Amino acid sequence: MHIPDSFMPITQGAVYWIIALIFIALALRWVKNELSEEKVPLVAVLAAGVFALQAFNLPVTMGTSGHLVGGALVAIVLGSPFAAIFVLSLVLIVQGVLFGDGGITVMGANIINMGVIGGFVGYYGYHGLLSVTRNIYASAACAAWLACIIPALAASVELALAGTFPLVPGMISMGIYHAVIGLIEGGITAVVLGLISSARPDILESAGGIPA
Amino acid sequence: MIPNRTFLAVGIVLALVIGIAAVFFASGDPDGLDSTALVVQGQKELTQPAKPDAEIDESALPGKFEYSAPFPDYTLEGGTKVTDAALLVVGTLIALILVFALGKGLKAFGRTRSS
Repeated sequence: MHIPDSFMPITQGAVYWIIALIFIALALRWVKNELSEEKVPLVAVLAAGVFALQAFNLPVTMGTSGHLVGGALVAIVLGSPFAAIFVLSLVLIVQGVLFGDGGITVMGANIINMGVIGGFVGYYGYHGLLSVTRNIYASAACAAWLACIIPALAASVELALAGTFPLVPGMISMGIYHAVIGLIEGGITAVVLGLISSARPDILESAGGIPA
Repeated sequence: MIPNRTFLAVGIVLALVIGIAAVFFASGDPDGLDSTALVVQGQKELTQPAKPDAEIDESALPGKFEYSAPFPDYTLEGGTKVTDAALLVVGTLIALILVFALGKGLKAFGRTRSS
């Protein structure tokens, strides 16, 4: 889902950068004011995990591959969508600048899609579903699936505005591929939450992730 | 409950193992975005694999900015799988250190402002 520079005119990329910078500023403020200092190492480890998992493309049939995005996972574990924006922004900067994975002028769009939309959909989707199902793993898996497919559809709209994809075929194709890729997102998110829950249940409790 | 340091150390080791494994086992198929580009350019059927020679037509794309990353596609020019794995390890550690340093720096900045 990492949009490269060639997929979007610079002027449109600049608009997404401006919007992204507003959310990055809010995320930095969240770290400064809301994140407890003891959790900073956990945030760093989650960033390392997201970076590594994003490099691991798994086949999803139809001659296509996909990987975890991680916005929902980070937002759920740390209890805020701003955590996802913080982590995904920095991961995308490392990927784009050092490895050419995602563009520079379009990085704002990638941050909006994977960090902002992924984080907000993952966090609020999880808590909404949790209030209904009372099952953290099912809720996290479904929210993570939504946090994969909705950013993909957003990207297809952005790329339709850029003139790269025609709107409807682009949305159909991105939607179908990421509906399958989202199964990876949901599965890995639930598994990681399970591992954290069994090793350090206090982390999820303090993030409001486990119903009292 | 696992002690904090052990928990974090296991997390870092797992991330590095996943990064190294990605070099050897990750799929080389195009991702969802590239597959969509191939589909809309008529080089791939939606539910079928692309032909081996299928490529995204860059001349048809609107973005003109070019940036040459030092390690494109997580590889070193003329490198081997071992150097690719080393790059993944370095990238994972940079992400770890960058987030840790910025997080700690922001917390220290917050303390200075509030005191």
